Amino acid sequence: MRSPSKTCIFFYNPQFSDFDPIDYAELIRYAMTFPNVSRIWKYHDFIWNEQNLTDKIEANGIDHLIVAGLLPGTVKTLFSKAMAIAGKDPANVILASFNDYYTGTTFDMDRLKSVLACLIAGLSYETVAIPDENPVNPATLVIGGGIAGIQASLEIAYSNNHVYLVEKTGTIGGKMATFDKTFPTLDCAACILTPKMVEVNQNPFINLMTYCEVQEVSGEAGNYSVRILMRARKVNVKTCIGCGTCTEKCPAQAPSEFDYGTSMRKAIYMPFPQAVPNKYMIDAESCIYLKTGKCRACVKVCPVPDCINLDEQDHEVTINVGNIIVATGFKPFDAKKMDQFGYGRLPNVLTSLEFERLLNASGPTGGNIHLRSQDKKGNWIFTEEAEKPEKVAIIHCVGSRDKNHNKYCSRVCCMYSLKFSHLILEKLPGAEIHEYFIDMRSFGKGYEEFYERILEEDVSIVRGKTAKVEERNGKLFLRGEDILKGEILENTVDMVILSIGLEAAEETRDLSRMLGIPRSEDGFFEEVHYNLDPTATSRGGIYLAGTCQGPKDIPDSVAQGSAAAARAIQSILKGKIYKDLISIPLETIEKRINKLTLVQLEEKHL
Amino acid sequence: MSVRVHPELRNQLMQFGIGDWNACYHCGTCTAMCPLSEEGFLFPRKKIRLMQMGLKNEIESSVEPWLCYYCGDCTSTCPRDANPGELMMSLRRYLTSIYDWTGLSKKFYTSEVWEIGSILLIAVLVVIAFLIGLPAMGYSFTTELTSQGGVKINSFAPIHIIEAFDWAMAIVVGGLLISNILRMYYKIIWKHGHTKVTFWVHVREFWRLVFNFSVQPKFGKCDDKRYWFSHWFLMSGYTIMFIVVVVFLPWFQTEKILPPWHLQRALGYYATFGLLFGLLVAITGRMRRKDVKFYFSHVSDWLFLVMLTLTVITGILIHIFRIYGMPYATYIFYIIHMAVLVPMILIEVPFSKWSHLAYRPFAVYFQHLKTHAVPRKTKINSIN
Repeated sequence: MRSPSKTCIFFYNPQFSDFDPIDYAELIRYAMTFPNVSRIWKYHDFIWNEQNLTDKIEANGIDHLIVAGLLPGTVKTLFSKAMAIAGKDPANVILASFNDYYTGTTFDMDRLKSVLACLIAGLSYETVAIPDENPVNPATLVIGGGIAGIQASLEIAYSNNHVYLVEKTGTIGGKMATFDKTFPTLDCAACILTPKMVEVNQNPFINLMTYCEVQEVSGEAGNYSVRILMRARKVNVKTCIGCGTCTEKCPAQAPSEFDYGTSMRKAIYMPFPQAVPNKYMIDAESCIYLKTGKCRACVKVCPVPDCINLDEQDHEVTINVGNIIVATGFKPFDAKKMDQFGYGRLPNVLTSLEFERLLNASGPTGGNIHLRSQDKKGNWIFTEEAEKPEKVAIIHCVGSRDKNHNKYCSRVCCMYSLKFSHLILEKLPGAEIHEYFIDMRSFGKGYEEFYERILEEDVSIVRGKTAKVEERNGKLFLRGEDILKGEILENTVDMVILSIGLEAAEETRDLSRMLGIPRSEDGFFEEVHYNLDPTATSRGGIYLAGTCQGPKDIPDSVAQGSAAAARAIQSILKGKIYKDLISIPLETIEKRINKLTLVQLEEKHL
Repeated sequence: MSVRVHPELRNQLMQFGIGDWNACYHCGTCTAMCPLSEEGFLFPRKKIRLMQMGLKNEIESSVEPWLCYYCGDCTSTCPRDANPGELMMSLRRYLTSIYDWTGLSKKFYTSEVWEIGSILLIAVLVVIAFLIGLPAMGYSFTTELTSQGGVKINSFAPIHIIEAFDWAMAIVVGGLLISNILRMYYKIIWKHGHTKVTFWVHVREFWRLVFNFSVQPKFGKCDDKRYWFSHWFLMSGYTIMFIVVVVFLPWFQTEKILPPWHLQRALGYYATFGLLFGLLVAITGRMRRKDVKFYFSHVSDWLFLVMLTLTVITGILIHIFRIYGMPYATYIFYIIHMAVLVPMILIEVPFSKWSHLAYRPFAVYFQHLKTHAVPRKTKINSIN
């Protein structure tokens, strides 16, 4: 590209809206410093018609023309035509669209100047503004120990690079560990996940940090410094033998997080039997000693000396990493927000995750489906003595595709609901199952076939979302509309399962500030390019994996975990990583422009 | 029978109300939430479907829009913000314009200029009649008072002329309304070639018309009973006032000041309180916009409320000025009263919002006729 000899700039700032915060005066001052810029016009300085423009082009002998501003493309045809009428090449109308470099509400003036400088020199901004590269610290931080985080950690560890896997809870495994079966293959979730979890624990390249939280992230791509809060487990992970004596003797109880509150656990507990690390931990909120100063039952019975240290305090560590993979997962929709379904009021209205635990052999009923019943104290609990449901209704799209809650489709609910139908029939042959859906979204490989399989089983799948669930004579009464029949649908069932959707995890907000990565409208982290770069974020060296980027199923989460790991390994192998695009100062751009134009001049003379 | 699709229907309906009805994904929540939707007459979802598909004839032959009393449950639970309640309201406006054979109703609903312009025109005509017409006929303003100290209203507004005018207006409005109801009957019952309703069913179900007109039991089925009460109070007050003014005007518009407990005054007070209470609920509701029911207000809604309020207030003022012997104030407010009342009845009753007083009870009547319809013996049937 040759350097344009005589360039004119038209600032397209019609001020048709109030959101034009650009300081045009400063841009004009800057542009005037270039020798090849002959004239500059502001929007209000001339009449915007073909004739007038043609006159101006001819009178000033303009060869090159830059139209700069917000949405300059809207007037490009006018300029091209004027150039053509004036007998010049219409291709020499160059647009400087500031919208593309618009960062939120404030304009980075240096960036706009850089864009102008490049165009004046006849170069495109993208060819000049290639970010610098930083050397890479080969260690990687993975935030979140769900299936996506596990996959990413293992992939990187297999390349013999160091990984810090930080998990908020006491065990890795995430939501997948709580599932009974996965759709559409009906694999046992624990059977395919636990080997990976154990592998994470045993791999020498993975530094597993459970019960930890990221507090602060500083630095730039290739060299991030991360402060991590290590919460006190109060049980020494190295010496605990996992015998379980402490749990037996512990007098304090709290609802189990792993079972989504369907069962109780002790204050000293292991999240679930296959937890990794397979060690106990103490919940400070329910521990009697930590609240009253008296008890220490666990310390007394523990066979390992000094293993339980009730006075252990939280502490912080700082690690240095080159890449960060965010895999913080999702939060299930709070079904209490939809009061019409009675969740929280009616004991046998369950969320899908609770039902998942009910199906699971390590769940509160040992994998048998029972109704919730009252114990002697009047609390509603799950026991194996309770009756089994004869009729079960599954309501789709709870909290998803609903403008009052979440607009988006959560992608997995249709499929796991169909899976429930199958599993209920497997465990309770002859049970009557009603699925109430709006649209059946069985979009993946083998999913439609799975749907067809369920259709052939004895399941009533009705189009029409239930409007409300009420209690009538101790049973659950549903009312909705059967859309295809065009009739009101009323049904009395024993158990209702709400297919709740996926929401961005609570930590997403804090993490997006901490890491400086944007979130999209729905609350999930935003990727650089939806189609072509779904794992990268706008910040160099930070990648996304799993449901923190958007609702997705297990295969997709695993695939994205691997993809994110590939991005990290790529930079480690290369030894260098691109900095953020925003990080290039104006001086650097100017220097590069000078260099590039010199090269062009030399080429010309040769 | 062939089905004709009218894709322009959606845009046409947009002129009658506000709603993103294409957003509906047919989950059926609205129909199931609706306390009035019943087997065979399901709404609002089915009506949204008809609207989306552009089945104009189907919509015109449906009674369901009139069975809805706009409690707003459907709109507040709609997961798509498709606003089904407002669709039902818009369909009522649309159907009013369809039943009306003059075409004026459509003009009034879709053009504010037409509606307000005609009201103003009639109001001006009324004022001219009072200021020029009556004096020309030899009736003049008199400041003379009756022996009780009241205003001689009948010498200003001669009772036989006002009564004759009342009857004329009642016949015109009634004629228009009855012809529109016949068109409604034709569209809903008669047009259905394959079913017929026997004469005996017409007679047997007739009580529903009277019952629904006087009590509005369907409105009472909505969750918030307060609105049923305020509506019923307003409507009963209005009906009493209408009957008294049209049929018993000589008994009502007297110069003699009767004791407050006399039936003439007692009925007037009842009607006044009923109207004022109902209007207060509706106006504050529409201003606060807290209930879904009152969230969206069409011009016709406000015009109706404002004109009725003006009528009631001027009526009260006439009453006060007449009793306390203030002739000019009485005359002025009598003219204003008539200048609001006449256009309100001429425009609103046959062509606009007020026509629902006839369409709603008739719709319930037609609904029951429909449920008792029997297949008509046709060639196709006999072959089958």
